[in-house]
Order: sequence, then C-alpha cells, then structure tokens
Amino acid sequence: MNSPSLKKAKEIKLPSHVLDLTLGPDKLYAACLDGGIYEVSTTFKLLGDNFKRIARHDNYASGVNWSASQRTLISASYDGDLKWIDPKEKKESQTVKAHDFWSWQSRLSPDGELIATTTGQYLCGGYKYEPAPETEPSVKVFDVATGELRHSFPHTPPVQSVAFSNDGKLLAAGNLMGEVILWDLTQEGKEIARIKTPDFTGWGIIKGHYYTGGVFDLHFAPDDQSLYLVGMGSTTDPAAGNGKQLWQKFTWKDGPKKEGAAADGEIGQGLMETLAFHPKGKFFLMAGRLFKGNWNAALFDHESGSRLCQKNIGFRISTSAFTPDGKRLFLGGGANQGRPNEKKKWGRIVIYDVSS
Amino acid sequence: MPTPDPSQNCGSPDHNLHRRKFLQGLSAGAISSMSFAGLFGAPAFAEIAKKKQKHCILLWLCGGPSQFETWDPKPGTTTGGPFKSIPTNVPGTHFSELLPKCASIADKLAVVRSMHTKAKEHTEGINLLQRGHAPRPPFTRPTMGSVLAQQLGQLDSKLPNFILLDPCPEGNEFKGFKAGNWAGWLGAEYSPVRVGGEYKIPNANRLDSITEDDHEAREALRKFFSKKYENDRKSSAAGSWNATFERVNGLMSCAHLFDLDKIPQADRDRYGPGAFGQHALLARTLVEEGAPFVMVANGMPWDSHVFNHEIYQMVVPDLDNIIFQLTKDLEDRGMLEDTLVIAMGEFGRSPWINQARGRDHFPDAWSLAMAGGGVQGGALVGATDKYGAEVIEDPFNEENLFATIFSALDIDPHAEFKIDGFPTFHHVENKAAPISQILS
Repeated sequence: MNSPSLKKAKEIKLPSHVLDLTLGPDKLYAACLDGGIYEVSTTFKLLGDNFKRIARHDNYASGVNWSASQRTLISASYDGDLKWIDPKEKKESQTVKAHDFWSWQSRLSPDGELIATTTGQYLCGGYKYEPAPETEPSVKVFDVATGELRHSFPHTPPVQSVAFSNDGKLLAAGNLMGEVILWDLTQEGKEIARIKTPDFTGWGIIKGHYYTGGVFDLHFAPDDQSLYLVGMGSTTDPAAGNGKQLWQKFTWKDGPKKEGAAADGEIGQGLMETLAFHPKGKFFLMAGRLFKGNWNAALFDHESGSRLCQKNIGFRISTSAFTPDGKRLFLGGGANQGRPNEKKKWGRIVIYDVSS
Repeated sequence: MPTPDPSQNCGSPDHNLHRRKFLQGLSAGAISSMSFAGLFGAPAFAEIAKKKQKHCILLWLCGGPSQFETWDPKPGTTTGGPFKSIPTNVPGTHFSELLPKCASIADKLAVVRSMHTKAKEHTEGINLLQRGHAPRPPFTRPTMGSVLAQQLGQLDSKLPNFILLDPCPEGNEFKGFKAGNWAGWLGAEYSPVRVGGEYKIPNANRLDSITEDDHEAREALRKFFSKKYENDRKSSAAGSWNATFERVNGLMSCAHLFDLDKIPQADRDRYGPGAFGQHALLARTLVEEGAPFVMVANGMPWDSHVFNHEIYQMVVPDLDNIIFQLTKDLEDRGMLEDTLVIAMGEFGRSPWINQARGRDHFPDAWSLAMAGGGVQGGALVGATDKYGAEVIEDPFNEENLFATIFSALDIDPHAEFKIDGFPTFHHVENKAAPISQILS
C-alpha cells in the first residue's frame, strides 16, 4: 500500500468549539460548545457564513449523529437530552431525557437503528479521589425510531466514550479509570469482557490529588476482532495535559490482551480525543490536542501500527470523520475562545483530501 | 505511654486564655501581683477569656479557583461554562449548581464577587494572598497565619498556634512557597506546624525507657544550655531551634489531637472520604481544642488550565460539602460566632477558555467566601459584568481583604508591628479599609 497523504482543502470557522460532527445526506452537521447543532456547507461560499444553526441544547452539544435509515439527526448534550432533528425542515421532532448529567459521547449503530450515550459525574469516592459509584446507569441505548430505552448498563463514572461494533452486535464503553466494558447486544446485553488499562489515567501528584484522563474515544477494528482506545498517557500534572499521545489496541476473546500501541518514537504529548477508521479499513486517524511534538493528527497503519503521515493542524481537534468513499477527512475542534468583545469565531472544521 | 483521651484538650488551663487578651487586659502590676497558676486557675477569668477566644480556619484553594463554577456563575453566556446556577436561601443570590449545600446555608455565608488583584502567576499570587501585601525586599512580611498565631495565640499553648494541614506534599509553586519563610519578621515561633497525609504526628510519644521525671530533667537542661547559647551568641538560629523544641514538646502532649482515628466515624463519613474533607474535619476538632488558626490545603487542584469542567465537576462538590459541614458543625457547637472560616485561593480563572478547554489565571475579577465569626451571613458584595470579565461594583484588593479578616477577628488592621530596627510596618498598609458590607 502506498502511504496515504493528507492535503488541506478548506477550513471553516464556527461560533464555538466543535465537539462532534456527522455527515448527513448532503451536508455536514456539527455539535458545538454553545449548544448549537449547525448545518455546515462544505462548498465554497464567497459571502456570508458557511453554517446555520438548526437546533439548540441548553448546554454544550456533545454529539450529533445522522441515521440514514431513519432519516433523522440525533444530537446529545451536557443537558442530558437527546434531540431528534429533521435536517430538511430544520426542526426538532422529539426530545428524550437520557441522563441526569452530561452526555459525554453518543454513537449510532451501523444500521442507524440504535443510539448509545454515556454519562457520569466524577465525584470523590475515596481518600485518593477515586471515582464514586454511579447514581444512574452510565451507558444507555435508545431506539432511534421510537426514542424508547432499549438497554441500560452500569459502569464506573465518568464514562467518556462508547462504540458499536461494525456488525452492530457489540457495544463497548470506556471510562476515566481506563476500564472498558463490552456487552453483547444479541444476548440481552450480557457483559462479555472487561479490559483495564492504567495507561490512559493520571493521578495528580504535583498539583493535586485526583484522577484525570481516561478513554476519550474507542473504535472496533474493521473485523470486530480488536478494539482501539484513544486518550493521553498518564501524567502526574493534570493541569499540564502533557501525557503521551496514545492509542492502544486490545483483543478480548481469550481474555483481555494488549496487541499494539502507538510507538514511543512516533508520538509527542497531548490529549488525543478522536479516532476514525478509513472506510477501506487499512489505516485509521488519531487526532487531538498538541502539547509538545510536531503533529496532532496522524494516520496509522492498522496492521503494523506504524505512523503513515502526520499533520499539525494548528488547533485542538475533538472529532473526526471520513467520507464514505474515503476521499475526504473532516476534523472538528477549536482555537482559543477569545475575549467576549472580540466576537471571535473559534470553532473550526478543516477538510482534507485523502490520497491512498 | 497510654494515649490521652482525645476528647480532652492538652490539659493546660491556659487553653482558655489567649495572648493578646491577656496583655490587653492586665497591667504589669497586676501580672506581678499574682502567680500564673493562680491567674489561669480563676474560673471566672478563664470563662471570659474562653468566650472571647477567636479562631480562624482557612480553606486554602491553591491554584486559583474558578469563580464561574463557584460563587459568581454566568449561565447562558459565552463564558459561563456548562454548569448552571441555582437559587440559594438568600433571595436574589445564586451560586453554581455545583454548590447545592452551600446554597442551602447562603444566609450564613458572606461572598465577595469583586476581588481585583494584580498578581497573575502562582508564586506572586500566593505570596500576595497569604501575606496581604506585595513583597518589599529585604523585609519578609509574615503570612496571615503567622500574624493570627501571634495575635490570637495562647500563652505557652501546647497546641501549635499555626497549624497547616497539608496532605499533598507537592504543589508546584505552592511547594516552593511551603519551603519558604512563613513567619517573616515575626520569627520562627510563628511558623506553621505542618501536618498531613497520614493524619497523625509520628514518633511523638516519649520512649517507655525514659521516665517522665527524666524527660523533664533533660528538657530543663537542654533549655538552660540552649538559652544560654542563644543569649551569649545572640544567635537567631539558636532562637529558632529553641522555638522548634518548644513546639515539639507541645506536640508530644497533643499528638492524639491529630489522630483522625480518634474522631467518630460518623463525622468522618459526613466530611467525605477525600483528603481535603478529612483534613477540614481535623481542622474543626483542632479549633474545638483551642487552636487559633488552622489552614487546610491540598496541593494546587484548582489550577485547571486543562480539563477545567472535568476537574471542577469533582472538586467543587467536595468543597461544597466541606464548607457546609464545617459551618454546620461550628454552629451546632456554638463556635461559629467566634470562628471565621475563609475559602479562597490566590486568584480566579479566566472567563474565556483556552484551546485545552481549561481556564487560565485571572486576578482581574474573582470571588471568595467566608462564614462565621465577625462576618455577616447572607452578605453578597460586589459584582462583575455579564461575562465575568470585569469588576463593575465595589472592587477590593488584598489589603481590603486582610483588613476585613483582621477586623472580623477583633484585631486592629492598622496596628503597627513592633520590630526593632525595621521601618514601620502595619498589619495592613495604606490604611486600607475593610469590606464593611460583610462585617457584622
């Protein structure tokens, strides 16, 4: 395989940081820190904004997902709500209270029939500030067609990431303490494995005694035989955000086993927040915030784990998506907020052409 | 040696008399005409002194706590963050939703939303808010705790007059500060005794192989020679060592008071399992036993350049419970009127979030809270603009704050320090006025 490469095609500014994005029928949709769900035009516009707000949550909008089968967008928020949005009419059709606390991440099943969302407040549960047990189920799965709750799963909060397997049969969710639980949705949600890694969690020694980090994103490999976790390596100074840029690959069939990880010589420092597999399944993207090093978005080979290409995007990346044909990559995130009187548009979506 | 009953104090009746009241209340002649033992043994005098004893607990929120997620929420604005505000039991006053317990006792809290200081970095900020004044080399101004130890401290108390409960030994710039000179020109006698982490004072018991008589005889001999050395050589170092020895001696008889195992489990459960809560509970018990000033620190967890909201979802509820339990306990024990509780750091945090979704240092407009002795519950002073970026009403600086703290504790904020050979220094310089709106 020729090494893939990325070529910047376009950058779009939005009113606030982009936490999630999804590709709709012919538009891009972004969930932003100002609570807005934005329709974003990816074609070049000479005048005016490239975006239009089509819905709004009462708090940070943390997720937006397009269900092709149900022809609806479902957004999620720190207000704990899921919203069903008709993109054509630009109207909300339904709101479901999913959690009492934030929805950290939401993901759609591959067939578009189910939406999973995770929650959980980190509260002091021990002398070393171990997380206290959950007060509500930390992982919930809703029916996209009806809005009904289909599954709820216990976990230790906060649970920051969730993923369906590519065949839609499994669900995985990862938390602050580096614990990932896998459930089999075809067996009434039976727990089938637990993966635990200490490598994504830091305990503050230098500044204060508490835990930071966690599994910020996870993704099943194309064959559903392994699971990739993304975040930041352990750091003793939580205020610095200076842990390693980190991904790790696990299998679980014969007990949890680490099968691969980002090589030390190919990574810098900073929180990695997003992972996306290229549709052809040969490589994947990991991206986030750069603390120290020379890239904050890089492509890695699925087989060997080696880095194939890298970019310093220039802002913090929170979300990513490839187009179905794999020819384009969308990265969403944000720059510094700026002073209120500057009225700065600090959200960013950057589009890259992918050659592979 | 058997462990003393923790419900008892150090056993000395002089617990009930503090230094300043003693000096203010008696003439030299009166002192000379009666013995110390007789003086402290007089029940009426001891009772009066006990009633007037003031205490202070400083919850030191090092790193700079965000005003947005605590006392000055700006929900629905671009700078407000993800947490909402909630009403309190004081009509018109709202706190962050992370402070529901404090909201229920807002009528006992005094909140200042208009602190405006100049120090932007930790080291200068910690110095400024611990000492109440910018540095003036080569003179080292004593910290608030040292001044209060001197002013509120008890004569020959076995319990230290300045206790720093410090479970996190690190703390970046705070660690550097901790290694420095707390007492300044007041001298080592007023430096803190620093305890924490394991809760107990290790190796504080007299060895079984040494009798009490032997122990006292050795101590008398040590004291005689070291005092002679100090006088003959005019050695301040020897003076400091002597002060330290005195303190260790006192601690040997008070070590049980630092043992959390002696505190009922139900109390420990109420304060929450974290180190900060447990040490705040210890502060309460030490104040009950007569300690005039206890500072509770826990590293620099409030310095949220990264993960501001992710960290504050945990540390603010912890603080909420600690302030609630402390205030309630002191009130239940009839001590709230005489005990000032302060919750503050060295500055606030920026309205705008950075690329790491953290908040940076912000001294321009920040908040703090107090409860108890000398302050008016329910008071809310000062205001910031819509975004929390500027103080728009009643700005106060560190001098106003220190004048307030001293006034609340019945200490003249503008009194001079008496130091031979030094320029004239005052408890608070520039005749800065206290924040009168919160003084009761």
